[in-house]
Amino acid sequence: MSDSPLFHAGAGPPDSPLFHAGAGPLEGRLWSALKEINDPEMPVNLVDLGLIYGLTVDGGRVCVRLTFTAMGCPATEMLMSDVRERLLAEPGIDDVRLDVVWDPPWTSARLTADGREALRAWGLSV
Amino acid sequence: MEPANSATLDALLKRGELVESTSEMTPGYLRELKHTLLVSGDTELISAPAYYLAARKAPSVNAFMTGIAIIQDELAHAHIAYHILEELGESQEALIFKRDPKAFRYPYAFDVPLESWTELVVANAMYDQAGFCLLGDIHEHGSYGPWKRGLVKVMAEENFHLRNGRNWSKRISQAGGEAREELQRAVDWMFPLTVEWFGLPDNLKQHSTQLDYRLKGLTNDQLRQQWLSTVVPFMDSIGIRVPAHQEGDGYVLDYPFPCTFDADEKRWDFKDPCSWDAVLKRWRARGPRNAEMVALFQESFAKFQVRA
Repeated sequence: MSDSPLFHAGAGPPDSPLFHAGAGPLEGRLWSALKEINDPEMPVNLVDLGLIYGLTVDGGRVCVRLTFTAMGCPATEMLMSDVRERLLAEPGIDDVRLDVVWDPPWTSARLTADGREALRAWGLSV
Repeated sequence: MEPANSATLDALLKRGELVESTSEMTPGYLRELKHTLLVSGDTELISAPAYYLAARKAPSVNAFMTGIAIIQDELAHAHIAYHILEELGESQEALIFKRDPKAFRYPYAFDVPLESWTELVVANAMYDQAGFCLLGDIHEHGSYGPWKRGLVKVMAEENFHLRNGRNWSKRISQAGGEAREELQRAVDWMFPLTVEWFGLPDNLKQHSTQLDYRLKGLTNDQLRQQWLSTVVPFMDSIGIRVPAHQEGDGYVLDYPFPCTFDADEKRWDFKDPCSWDAVLKRWRARGPRNAEMVALFQESFAKFQVRA
């Protein structure tokens, strides 16, 4: 996917090394918005769970690269509709494109420190 | 070990402590605990075939996966209740596979078939919300430790079912047209059925052994109000009519409660109020699909029994 126009170094969440200094305040706001969406069964949000691989903004259009914890995840449509709806609620965003990717596959190594802590506090060993 | 006497048990319950073993229970507590577990296990178990018949109508592969995942959760939740019953001396096998369909203790609502994806998601939004209120109460206030701890994961998983119900209800309502009318029709028959799920109103139920033993913490009317306070605003927010409205701190039903229900037609007659005796009679007779729903998981059991 590295040849995809969506893949670039600035694709990581604001607290990750991938989030480059050139990313504007809008990107930060969109990452924060995605942090409001929780996994349907665990008290952890999609960003801290490590499902969001990156996002880019072009005018009013945001493209999100995301994955799921398993190909058999029963919540893919639910989460995609939540992501779309939440981002469309942000001022200046009128188009949301979702790019579901399976490579690299999700593993628990993609959890952020906060995500790991949230799951541990909930009783899940990660 | 001698069974606990009621003074010791009462003192333990008053201190807000948990009952952890049968040695701390009186025969009355054990009986009521088993009954409460049976209602819970039966409700979760029967939701599996009931939801399955509707999940087959899923509009996409992932929606079908969602339906199947919810069914898997419900079976696991049933297993928790039956497993505890087994530890308390009951036979899971006898409870699940050898009981007469009419002896199951799940709410009447599950005897009325869910026949479409729309009816399934309304069940997720309303029936699972009822389950969430009832189990949430047991999780928060219940006095039996092993069950209370088992419910931690159950609550998280029920949340997934609710979210499926709400997301799809909203989506169907926004689609408008016939899809929205079908959603309204489903809510029209399923809403009053869930309202009655919580049982006799408090003014007719003077005394609750379950409350005495802290097997639950809230009364029927308190739980019904809790359910109304989530479902009514949600349905209002997606533009679907429900026969209830807010008045002060509580919610008031806009129809005589209880009233008569034609299960075959899935239709309530708000012009024909009835007594609670009539409702209890309808519940005891069970609904149109009771035998069929129970047969869905019982029918193969005898066939595969290997004789010793």
